[in-house]
Amino acid sequence: MSYNSKKLLYSVIGILVVAGVVFGLYTYAGQEAFIRTTLSGLTLGSLFFLVAAGLTLIFGLMDVLNFAHGSMFMIGAYTGWQFYTNPTFIFGVLPLVLAFATTVMLIPVIKPLLVRLDLSEAWQKRLPKLAYIAALLVAVLALVKFDILGLAKTAMVAVTTTSSNPLAELSPQEPLPRFLLRLLLLMLSGAFVALGLSKPGNRTEVSAPEPLKKRLILPVALFVLAIIFTLVRESASEGVLLMNGNLRFALAIIAATLFGFLLGALIEITMIRPLYVRSFFIVLMTLGMSFVMRELVQVLWDPLAYQMVRPPLFAQPGRATTIAEWLMNGSSTISIAGVTFPTYRLFVILLGVVMFVFVTLLMNRSRLGMIIRAGVQDPQMVEALGINVKRVFTLVFALGVALASLGGIGAAPFLPVQPMMGDQYQMQGFITVVIGGMGSYVGAFVGAMILGMARAFGDYFALKLQLSPTIAEASTVIIMIVVLILRPQGLFGKKD
Amino acid sequence: MMETTDSNRYLLSVEEIDTYIGQFHILEGVSVDVAKGSITVLLGRNGAGKTTTLKTIMGLTPPRNGRVIFDGQEIQGKQAFKIANFGIGYVPENRAVFRALTVMENLKLAERKKGDLDRHADFIFELFPDLERLSKLKGNQLSGGQQQMLAVARALVPDNKLLLIDEPSEGLAPILIQQMMEAIRKLRETTTILLVEQNFIMASQLAERYVIIDDGKSVHRGLMSDLVQNQDLIHQYLGASIQAPISTSEVQ
Repeated sequence: MSYNSKKLLYSVIGILVVAGVVFGLYTYAGQEAFIRTTLSGLTLGSLFFLVAAGLTLIFGLMDVLNFAHGSMFMIGAYTGWQFYTNPTFIFGVLPLVLAFATTVMLIPVIKPLLVRLDLSEAWQKRLPKLAYIAALLVAVLALVKFDILGLAKTAMVAVTTTSSNPLAELSPQEPLPRFLLRLLLLMLSGAFVALGLSKPGNRTEVSAPEPLKKRLILPVALFVLAIIFTLVRESASEGVLLMNGNLRFALAIIAATLFGFLLGALIEITMIRPLYVRSFFIVLMTLGMSFVMRELVQVLWDPLAYQMVRPPLFAQPGRATTIAEWLMNGSSTISIAGVTFPTYRLFVILLGVVMFVFVTLLMNRSRLGMIIRAGVQDPQMVEALGINVKRVFTLVFALGVALASLGGIGAAPFLPVQPMMGDQYQMQGFITVVIGGMGSYVGAFVGAMILGMARAFGDYFALKLQLSPTIAEASTVIIMIVVLILRPQGLFGKKD
Repeated sequence: MMETTDSNRYLLSVEEIDTYIGQFHILEGVSVDVAKGSITVLLGRNGAGKTTTLKTIMGLTPPRNGRVIFDGQEIQGKQAFKIANFGIGYVPENRAVFRALTVMENLKLAERKKGDLDRHADFIFELFPDLERLSKLKGNQLSGGQQQMLAVARALVPDNKLLLIDEPSEGLAPILIQQMMEAIRKLRETTTILLVEQNFIMASQLAERYVIIDDGKSVHRGLMSDLVQNQDLIHQYLGASIQAPISTSEVQ
């Protein structure tokens, strides 16, 4: 049989099986339960997709199993929750990070000068080490008595207060002169890091630099941002809290996604890049990183579960009958074909679908997508064409983490925000990737939806037939086993 | 040899490179010079190190010792993408066209500046008319010969000064070999080529100069016209690798 007719046959069989299962469930459960369970399944599936999309892209391109993906989901939830509930912590820490980054990003400016220095080989090795030690000492000095825990706790206050005045929860930031001193010290620390990373005296690193103007753009921009955010430390928090709740939520989503992107880029460059040659270590490293992140979050916000308040668009009591009515009144539930369903979950489904469309367009319509599809097969050849594959790896990793982070903030308004919240999603994300096929984003979407449905209908049957509720969790693993037996490369995986 | 470091004459000089793959010492002091506007062919038995030589030049398997000078600059030890951006196109032996990409996307991917493909499309499709017809097909739907043409075409998209072509005739039907030879001959008019070719008939008709690599060392070099006369040398180093004699008339 030819390749195409085989493909057609499989598609037809697939559609028939899906239609049969859907019809069977529909007749068994009845319309109301069917619609309700399906919508729940789609909600879960959307979150699974946001986690699995990053996992599958990262694995497909770089063969990296990111065991910290669930923690990044969790970090996204915390970032968004903090921003939405009380951004004092974020705005208190942001200028410090920016100040440090300003001088680290000076590397392209100072490197061409430093590599030309006349240094003995011993000093070439010693100088970066000394610089890193100096950077560490200065950074510690910069943060002496910086009340980071106090800042973090501000958001916990928000959980207990339900006052009508949103500003009641704000706590003051440190006085400016002292804070400026910290900024200066952190810039010095960053400068030491830049000195170390520039490999002073190493002439093999000489290469024609870009024009000075271009190299200065990033550090200058960061510096300006650091100054701005220092000056608005307190007013920015107030401004955010006084904002319309929906707008604030939109900004929280952007903040969490952006933070995920930057965090992903940072992790890839500093910790994963040196380990590509020993891929097993990456597994250990990311696993360790997930513990570190979890502990860090527990130190900052205590091992508690928080409930993020739903934004006003999804919070008013009452049931809307049409989408227009919901959007006007901000009803918390909506009636869909006679079934009452929370509006926020519809938003999560929308988020998942929108991101699937985004990833599809990115993969098929952009040059980056073309590079990724080619790189999945043969990164060496892509590099031989003159493409900086390392940079693409960083981008893809950052993108994957950003998607997980987006999933986290998407989940925050209806799941408890707590340090372990990502673990379950990481597990399901891996199962999704196995079912859908490693490296296939379409597979990740289909797999995520299948798993979401399995979970939702598993819960439904467990309730109805009085089975153990763990049957829902087990069902996803059973599906994975069946897929592995019938099609070991996954539904959309390529044989290799 | 008096002609070792004449940078005006040589576009590429590989000087005494040592390359290791894992524990294995694959290249032990290989030297190759490629004159501007010429075709130089690397000859040798299977496993002699010809492909590794190309990969080493390209930066895919960086050398431990030795120098690679391209267009007056030392390029050894640089990252592969930087080396490619100096103006070197690489056509690997396994026809590494991207299977998930269409023919057009394969070509587009090779662009280094916007518009590279537009500028060279006429030339490429004149050389390989099949590719224009197949431009919407995916790489995995092409036949072996079509993939080989795509792999060569891809190296022509940017402005390359040097092409490294590994076994362009491997596994091709005679009629396609002829087409490939015509194409490479045409390419010589505009670029410089370093070729690896097992098919001695094809190599001898295309290249002006040869370097024989044996067991990781460059053991012999010279003009192709001399080598063709030297049956002893051919038998000593290439004996096993010369394919079943194809008569010249069949190729042309």
